[in-house]
Amino acid sequence: MNLSRFNLALRLLWRDSRSGELTILIIALLIAVTSSTAISLFSDRLQRTMTLQAAEFLAADLVIACPNPIPTEWQSHAKHLNLVLAQTVEFPSVLIEHDELLLAGVKAVSSSYPLRGLLKTTGADYNSETITHAGPEAGSVWVEKRILSALKLNLGNTLTVGEKQLIISNIITYEPDKKGDLYSFSPRIMMNDADLTATGIIQPGSHVHYFFQFSGDQEAIVNFKKWLQPQLTPSQKIMDIHEDRPELGTALIRAERYLGLSSILVILISGVAIAMATGRYTQRHFNATALLRCLGCQQRDILWLYCSQFLILGLLTSAIGCLLGWFAQRGLFKLLKDLLPQQIANPNLSALGFGFSIGIIVLLAFALPPILRLKNVAPLRVLRQDLEPLPISAWFVYSLSITIIGLLIWRYTTDVKMTATVLGTGLITLLVLSVLIYGLLNLIASLVPKMSLTWRFGLQGLIRNRQATISQILAFSLTLAAMLLSFTVRTDLINNWQQQLPENAPNHFALNIFPEQQLAFKADLQQDAIQGSQFYPVVRGRLTEINHTPVQKFVSKDSQGDNATHRELSLTWTKELPEDNKLVAGQWWTATQTVSVSVEQKLADNLKINLGDLLTFSIDNQLVYATVTSLRALRWDTMKPNFYMVFSPGSLDAFPSTYITSFYLPEAKKDLLNTLVKKYPSTTVLEVDLILKQFKTLLKQLTQAINYLLYFALMAGFTVLFAAVYATLDNRIYEGTLMRTFGANRKFLRKTQWIEFGVLGLISGLLAVIIAEAIQYALYTRVMAIEYQPNLTLSLIVPVISALFVSLVGLLGVKQVLNRPPIHVLREL
Amino acid sequence: MLHILSSIDLIINSGESIAIIGESGSGKSTLIGLLAGLDTPSSGTISLNGHELTKMNEDGRAALRNELIGFVFQSFQLLQGLTALENVMLPLELKGDKKAKNLASKLLDRVGLGHRLLHTPKQLSGGEQQRVALARAFATNPKILFADEPTGNLDSKTGASIIDLLFELNSENHTTLILVTHDAHLAARCERTIKIEAGQQV
Repeated sequence: MNLSRFNLALRLLWRDSRSGELTILIIALLIAVTSSTAISLFSDRLQRTMTLQAAEFLAADLVIACPNPIPTEWQSHAKHLNLVLAQTVEFPSVLIEHDELLLAGVKAVSSSYPLRGLLKTTGADYNSETITHAGPEAGSVWVEKRILSALKLNLGNTLTVGEKQLIISNIITYEPDKKGDLYSFSPRIMMNDADLTATGIIQPGSHVHYFFQFSGDQEAIVNFKKWLQPQLTPSQKIMDIHEDRPELGTALIRAERYLGLSSILVILISGVAIAMATGRYTQRHFNATALLRCLGCQQRDILWLYCSQFLILGLLTSAIGCLLGWFAQRGLFKLLKDLLPQQIANPNLSALGFGFSIGIIVLLAFALPPILRLKNVAPLRVLRQDLEPLPISAWFVYSLSITIIGLLIWRYTTDVKMTATVLGTGLITLLVLSVLIYGLLNLIASLVPKMSLTWRFGLQGLIRNRQATISQILAFSLTLAAMLLSFTVRTDLINNWQQQLPENAPNHFALNIFPEQQLAFKADLQQDAIQGSQFYPVVRGRLTEINHTPVQKFVSKDSQGDNATHRELSLTWTKELPEDNKLVAGQWWTATQTVSVSVEQKLADNLKINLGDLLTFSIDNQLVYATVTSLRALRWDTMKPNFYMVFSPGSLDAFPSTYITSFYLPEAKKDLLNTLVKKYPSTTVLEVDLILKQFKTLLKQLTQAINYLLYFALMAGFTVLFAAVYATLDNRIYEGTLMRTFGANRKFLRKTQWIEFGVLGLISGLLAVIIAEAIQYALYTRVMAIEYQPNLTLSLIVPVISALFVSLVGLLGVKQVLNRPPIHVLREL
Repeated sequence: MLHILSSIDLIINSGESIAIIGESGSGKSTLIGLLAGLDTPSSGTISLNGHELTKMNEDGRAALRNELIGFVFQSFQLLQGLTALENVMLPLELKGDKKAKNLASKLLDRVGLGHRLLHTPKQLSGGEQQRVALARAFATNPKILFADEPTGNLDSKTGASIIDLLFELNSENHTTLILVTHDAHLAARCERTIKIEAGQQV
């Protein structure tokens, strides 16, 4: 009995899918499963890459990270505890070879590095990787492959780091303790720390990162840590393999989050298409169901019959979607490859399982409500065709889908508050937009009777089923708005920055100029008539307390304050107010009294710092107290050295300092850069163009990855369009044939269809432009401080393109209407 | 190959009224579909008012239908989204008639629905719907009226009043009438009867 029922379900499913009844449903489900599988695989592989690396991400069992060397007694105590020691020093440096400049991340390692984990290198053939347990020998250097191409070098050539020439002996492909931050965006060169002094780069006050690494017996490590902790200064950070986990860079975390949220948009839009397609499926099965009921099927038999069909469909489609998703995630990795670690964990079956279960859940959430109606078809319908089962309660339908979407958002944010915010904002936005569109459709409906026949019939398609029209417009406009935003914000960000720079704005920064070099450096610039900004002394230090309260109590997550208190700041002092700075509160110092500090206004707002507050700084393991005597407003994009904290002269004299300046080097004088870098090897010269280029690449990759998902959303939008068209196709064919019977020609019908879909696309495009511009306005004026200017060209082009595309796809959906000979009006109707 | 209709040789003169009778599936509807240019035969020729339908394309036939032909169907075939008035205006508007509204309301008045111009088909009874369909059929003042079982979906009393109205309008407008029916009484009211059996004229 059960087997024969199963056979019946299979047979009916086979018939329906062959007749095209289920095509839209299948495509919508495929899109949802493919995109969520891709995202699930993507994040899972990233997370597991990090976890796998956790075992060796420190390249040791315990690491002290700090801006200065640690006391020697710490090292002897470690030796006393039988711990093995290693150390690495990391700093950025500009390399010049064959007149090509490149900013590289230099890492000098001691001979015992790495204590844990291994290094991988390749030779000239790039193919076979060699695993080693020690870094380069003295006199040699290992580089990342892109350094060779950028500087036109080969293995065996010499590479000059600072003042020292080193032989390139290997290409490095893997190091255990590579950080996932933006610094690692610069290509790596690894050298032996025996050569470090000879480079002349490291001197007191240089901006470098030291990593002192220890490994050994776990108990000894614990003891050592206990012994160390009370002695640590705020700038010394201890990292323990058992307590710390490697983190993804912020850019990647955000990208992952946006990708996750975009995939929810895809699921939502596909869900609407699934609900609409199932709605039509259900309606077309009322008669057959009534007959089955007449023949003695009970309600639960009916439910079982249809649910089992949908379950089989869901299982098959999800399986195919998973396969497609697997390919799609490879695309994502390709798009983001420069941001990612080189070695990525392999895809995991459980992540595939997530994509698969999404398929089943989405199908159930959106298809179940219409299917439940079939259960309620009255057997009497065989006699009275107008008997329709009651629709399922709207509350049930909406709460089911909102719950599912909420759970999905929670999965990507793993934060209840954020989930509530995203869900709440999303719902309110959808509601407001729906009301707006509904109003617009009502307005159109009231104008329709006054229009010509063609327009009347065209627009009727839109106002006939307003709910379906609203869904379509929402799907298209939201997707288009997201695409528009990701495009315009990216270009505006880059263009505005470039445009706002005054002519001859400094395009190079020079950092780490030692005090004794300052005058010579200045003279060299003046000799070549290079305009430079003031030279500012820099001491690195960390803000630790405000009025003796730890600063962490004042910061909110991800804010400017959070960022500024988690790292060492560049602290300076000057007698005069720095150029382009504006005093907004307090007094600039006249005669120096006590240690005073002037704070940048936005940071002060963020950390709730007021005039008269006492700030504690930790500099070079010593505490410095300073009273806030003024607040300054400044523009960060002037390309001149800017500072959060400016001290009164003499306040920081006790600490070693270096100087920073910026200057404008015209293209014609680029040669001077070579001379400067060679003459002052310890100085880091940053080319703004290069940084901007890296920034552009980063933004481009991120937006490409997000757009990649938005294409899925767009496809899902088209399935909603098709679902809506198919829901009314019978009616359209009927009206079309009838009109042709009365003498309407194809041109007339074609025109009405163009009007319907054209207006649909036009409204969606216009709405998309409005949404995108509104968000952009808020973003630019409130968050990014970029001047907002409406983009008129895009505002015109987008609605037109949208109208065109929606029309073309829509016409494809209704082509049956034109091709059906009018004789059908006499039959089957 | 399946022959639905064969050996049909038929001349219908202007102003004539003809009944086509036959059993279900005999090919009556196919025949009037061909005569009205709603479909084309696989072989043979059909001329309508001097135009050879079989040589025209669908859009050409559509224009001809609009110009010359009116239709009344068994299941009324009114557009549900339109009011009675708009349904009657439809063929006039397709023709580009500027006075469509005026003409349509006059016609609805003529069929006794002057007070229900703005009602939609759902708000009208079957008989009333068929009256709207009659008004629509005569709106363009057609030379030929095709009626496919116009009373098939109506009870006998309502059906009779519709038929009376049909013949009245027909004689007022001097229209050629081609009527498909099962009903021998109704066929008898036409000047000539053509019987179709298994796709052949007998």
